[in-house]
Amino acid sequence: MVTLTHYLALSALLFGIGAVGFLIRRNALIIFMCVELMLNAAGLAFVAASRYRGLLEGQLTVFFVLTVAAAEVAVGLALMVAIFRTKRTTNVDELSGLRG
Amino acid sequence: MLQGYAVVGLYLLLSFALLGVVLLLWWFLRPKKPNPLKLETYECGVQTVGDAWVQFRAQYYIFALIFVLFDVEAVFLFPWAVAYNQLGLYAVIEMALFLLLLLGGLLYAWRKGALEWA
Amino acid sequence: MGELIAFYLLAGIAVATALAMVITRNAVHSALFLVLNLVVVAVFYLLLGAPFVAMVQIAVYAGAVMVLFLFVIMMLGAERVGGTTGLRWQVPLAGALGAALIGGTLFAFLRAPAGLAPVGSPPVPFGDPAAIGERLLTTYVLPFEITSVLLLIAMIGAVVLARDSGPEGK
Repeated sequence: MVTLTHYLALSALLFGIGAVGFLIRRNALIIFMCVELMLNAAGLAFVAASRYRGLLEGQLTVFFVLTVAAAEVAVGLALMVAIFRTKRTTNVDELSGLRG
Repeated sequence: MLQGYAVVGLYLLLSFALLGVVLLLWWFLRPKKPNPLKLETYECGVQTVGDAWVQFRAQYYIFALIFVLFDVEAVFLFPWAVAYNQLGLYAVIEMALFLLLLLGGLLYAWRKGALEWA
Repeated sequence: MGELIAFYLLAGIAVATALAMVITRNAVHSALFLVLNLVVVAVFYLLLGAPFVAMVQIAVYAGAVMVLFLFVIMMLGAERVGGTTGLRWQVPLAGALGAALIGGTLFAFLRAPAGLAPVGSPPVPFGDPAAIGERLLTTYVLPFEITSVLLLIAMIGAVVLARDSGPEGK
């Protein structure tokens, strides 16, 4: 029997992997992808809770999270390309200046 | 309900299996006499230059950016269209508001020349 | 029983692809592993009786968003940038903190299991687009309209950021 705990544990695992990736990778694009992974793990927990509690709200939340993620990706990647054009790098260690 | 998706999954597995079988069959049947000319991407025609890891031109990317946002809009249209029968005029007004706001975004992109191919 | 096997199989794939995404050196491979991960999570959504959310996940996330990611990676030629260099103590520290995070949450979940069995058979219009659409346009109409403002802002932001720095070579 697959219980809600199974799904929550899986979600925690994926979230943790995303968080570690966020900390250790130096490529801004991969850091961004790790954020997507963490959002996705949270979404899994929401949908699982929605199913096991019999409430539709969890799915709606994920729907909105997906929308926000798409908007975030559009602006974030535009920002990254703009940074790349001035600094010629996507390595976050080299992006230490506060003035462009 | 899940049985319906099981068919899809089975179909997916079958198509992968078929691909594997065909590739394996060819591997055993075909003669192996490679030469440099034969290993070219295009055996005749234009000479290939460089490798396949090229950088795209930046112009495509603004289209991709805007596409992502309108893709989300399309996804919102879908449940609206299905729930339309139960909601009537109310839903039309809500969606009209939604679309008008996004149309503003499209007009802005247009005026800024983001959609030009130059 | 079959359900449990399916869960562990899919969970294994999900964790493996997530790990591969974090570990692999090449950003393009990383993005492709993430696509696989997103698809597996979409299958989980199907199993959990959320076909519409699964469809959206594939169409928006695994489709459009990841294509945009691949696009930018190829455009910047950033596929091989940076492994895990940087501060020397950062990797072990991040590993330890991440392990602590995972351990802590797992401990919390497993000690006080929310181990609910699924609520009977779900109500009939559960998770299908019509039910979601109806809820979206009645109870949650305000977030729905705010979403359109958000998308508008994102669009303007993207256009401004992409145009102001000017096309390359000009």
